[in-house]
Amino acid sequence: MLNMKNVSKVYRTDTVETHALREFSLIVEEGEFVSVTGPSGSGKTTFLNIAGLLEDLTDGAYELDGRDISKLNDKERSRVRNEKIGFIFQSFNLIPELNIFDNVDVPLRYRGFNADERKRRIEQSIEMVGLGSRMQHLPAQLSGGQQQRVAIARALAGEPRFLLADEPTGNLDSQMADSVLDLLAEINAAGTTIIMVTHELGLADRARRNIFVRDGQVSDNAPELHLASMAAG
Amino acid sequence: MEFGPIWRAMMRNKGGYLLIALQIAVTMAVMVNAFAIMQERSIKMSRPSGIDDANTFSLVSVGFKPDMDAKTLVQEDLDLLRGLPGVVNAVETNSFPLRQGGWSEGLHREPGVGKSVSSSAIYFVDEHGLDTFALNLVDGQNFTPDQVSWDSDSPDFWPATVIVTQALAEDLFPDHEGSYVGKTFWFNDENPANIVGVVERMQAPWPTWTGVERSMLVPLRRESEFARYVIRTEPGYRDELMVQVEELLSGSNKDRIIRGLGSAEEARKLSYLGDAAMIKILSFIVVLLTAITGLGIVGLASFSVARRTRQIGIRRALGATKPAIIRYFMLENFLVSSVGVVAGGVLAIGLNIVMVQAFALTPLAWYVIPVAMIVLWVVGQAAVAGPARRASAISPAIATRSI
Repeated sequence: MLNMKNVSKVYRTDTVETHALREFSLIVEEGEFVSVTGPSGSGKTTFLNIAGLLEDLTDGAYELDGRDISKLNDKERSRVRNEKIGFIFQSFNLIPELNIFDNVDVPLRYRGFNADERKRRIEQSIEMVGLGSRMQHLPAQLSGGQQQRVAIARALAGEPRFLLADEPTGNLDSQMADSVLDLLAEINAAGTTIIMVTHELGLADRARRNIFVRDGQVSDNAPELHLASMAAG
Repeated sequence: MEFGPIWRAMMRNKGGYLLIALQIAVTMAVMVNAFAIMQERSIKMSRPSGIDDANTFSLVSVGFKPDMDAKTLVQEDLDLLRGLPGVVNAVETNSFPLRQGGWSEGLHREPGVGKSVSSSAIYFVDEHGLDTFALNLVDGQNFTPDQVSWDSDSPDFWPATVIVTQALAEDLFPDHEGSYVGKTFWFNDENPANIVGVVERMQAPWPTWTGVERSMLVPLRRESEFARYVIRTEPGYRDELMVQVEELLSGSNKDRIIRGLGSAEEARKLSYLGDAAMIKILSFIVVLLTAITGLGIVGLASFSVARRTRQIGIRRALGATKPAIIRYFMLENFLVSSVGVVAGGVLAIGLNIVMVQAFALTPLAWYVIPVAMIVLWVVGQAAVAGPARRASAISPAIATRSI
């Protein structure tokens, strides 16, 4: 499903060249729940940006569903993001002026669904995350955990092939974090591929496979806890 | 289309949008009414005077010798002028259209003391007046030489025959149908005047006068040391002849001075100087206001883009294409502009009603408001295009950056 081979990402300024990813290779199969961990600055978010088509890669090859991503133009990349990928962000990234219904509606409008289809999908996904009674609320009227659930509903409404989660529990207390991880596990069990980027090694235990990133590369020298998880997986 | 979500989002943060909508409304109200004033002035300025403005000029001979034979001098001057190559015709008169100085008279439909029913500008001419002014005679005939008299030979002063403009005839006899030739009216309660001819148009000397189209030619030559000559030339000879005639008349008699040389076009331009200035000032104000409104929209849109950088990145991450981001800001501006132009339309009509009542302005033409709406919509869309394009260039990777 996701196949990155020797992917590099270099950020250049007039004076500095930063290698965020070096020869990064990873294959994720359909239905997997993969966690990507690593210290700050290791390249986790860069990996997520490239995997989610939010940024171009500098070198290497990236195929998503057998399609060479490097050959897509901006419009095609937007379409792939919209149709195949669901995003869950650390800071929820809901649009503050829009109520819950309209927030979940945002990617569906870009998809071009008609009003009835959008309404059906919005209501279904919001019900699924247990916020059916809050559709007209604004994000600011919800707790952090509820906002993240709305973000999950927004990510799921388009029925994406895989979900990219960037520190999904980073802004939540432990109880809310557990609840969100339970929800992700349910979604994965239903068949959606999930890649979760987190710097918390403890959270990685919830995934079925763990990838440790260091210095922009997949590292074999993962911390013990992580290796234990990998062995269990 | 995302009208619903955009509108709801705007309603939750409406301060800036309302201010811009208000600015658009005020701009539209001023623009529409300024346009109405400009249009009215422009129509006024473009009215034909009825004479051949392009080929006509005038000058004044002022004699200073006490026992000067004015009659002879005027006749000699006219013979000289009419004989000049390039001169079509010449006449001695008191004034000409749009000169801003002349003679007017109250007119009566019946003899005897009473209130005048109309008034008219008076041009004293001989039988060459009609041709010199190049007037279009639509009914009747020109004066015959025997109908023209000197004021010194005329005990009642006012001659018995006149040529009037169509507008004056209609004003004098509003219920009359058919030819006005042969109709009689009275000067000063007691002097009858018989209409022998009707010209299509000849404006009065005063452009702001409501009766500017009411004029008449009176076949009277005035024996005076002050003589104004109006000369019509062949096309292309005017400027050359203006110099030549001034020199010729100055040289032909040393007991006078020649002054007031000027073309009818210059007189026309001078008489509409205030209107032309008003049009320029109002145009400047309209352009300035529109530019300020455009800049206001640019400012709001730029601020909005800067404030929503992350949100734009999120939308891009969720699948918005660059054109979709541009469309979002265009639609948002369209909604603000629509509120502004609708409010502006109401405001413009209200202001116009006040101006019509207070300044006798012509009511707005039906198309002015729709045209102004379209102009402001276009200005709004043009103003927001730059910020919208900048917004579309925001990277979707912004969405994953920490706050």
